[in-house]
Amino acid sequence: MSRQMSGFRAWVWQRASAVYLALYIAYVLLHLMLAPPVDQQALASWMGALPMWLATALFMLMLLLHAWVGVRDVILDYLKPAFLRFLALLAVQAFLLACGLWALAVLVQLL
Amino acid sequence: MRFEVYRYNPDTDAKPYMQAFDLEVERGMMLRDALLKIKEQDESFAFRHSCGEGVCGSDGVNVNGSNRLACITPVAELKAPVVVRPFPGRPVIRDLVVDMSDFYRQYQAVEPWLKRKEPVPEQESLQTPAQRARLDGLWECIMCGCCSTSCPSFWWNPDKFLGPQALLTAWRFLADSRDQGEEERLDALDGPYKLFRCHTIMNCVEACPKHLNPTEAIGHIRNLMLKKSV
Repeated sequence: MSRQMSGFRAWVWQRASAVYLALYIAYVLLHLMLAPPVDQQALASWMGALPMWLATALFMLMLLLHAWVGVRDVILDYLKPAFLRFLALLAVQAFLLACGLWALAVLVQLL
Repeated sequence: MRFEVYRYNPDTDAKPYMQAFDLEVERGMMLRDALLKIKEQDESFAFRHSCGEGVCGSDGVNVNGSNRLACITPVAELKAPVVVRPFPGRPVIRDLVVDMSDFYRQYQAVEPWLKRKEPVPEQESLQTPAQRARLDGLWECIMCGCCSTSCPSFWWNPDKFLGPQALLTAWRFLADSRDQGEEERLDALDGPYKLFRCHTIMNCVEACPKHLNPTEAIGHIRNLMLKKSV
């Protein structure tokens, strides 16, 4: 395994996740405009239907990945001392992991 | 016309300062001519220059906020007062003379020569006109440093990010039909810093006095990496 962090792989994931995020957000916005759910229950059942649920779970994953590459880029650009950089990257990972677990908890309730 | 030039001699000055000179502007005068006139008034003023016609790439300076070659910048194009500073982000040796060691080190790092696996042909490595045409917009680089020293990513990480000039050169050899080192070149460019600190800010394209496009070259390298990985 390479001792370095990835450059190419991170770049590809950033691009690929951006495409998915754009498609998902466009779809959700269109749906909300054309056929808005009448109440909370309708919204929950729309989100809880398996294809939409899977798409939303994937959206969360892609969002976390996209955020990771983006914030990682900022840290790699500006944080010079290696130890500080390591700590900052760790803090971002912990935060994103917590966000992911929270999103998962919400998603599980929808099923 | 008023010129304000950056002055700093680390041996005698505690801090850099700007010094104003008023010069008579003549028709067709280039910025280099103005700098030479300043040097006539004050012999201690230091700047690099050589060919005087945009070929050697020695006299890159920051003029009114943009990196340009002094010898091909008409004074008539500039707004007064003309503020002349050394390239941003580089350690100043004296006045407008900066230390370009990082820049040359990054150029060296892309191994700017043809690599062959097969034995070199006895006479010439022939190219079709189309293969040769791929090098246009790449070989013309005169290594003045206007691009790399205008790149924020190069300002922050000049020791790790190759910078637009070296990356343009990397693509110049990747695009060359006579080069056989594609795999190792691409492997050497991976990692988070060397190539991927480029955030397509495109200051390099704006600054290049030869109107080359390092951002496009970087895009070509990324696409080639993508093509080779699938």
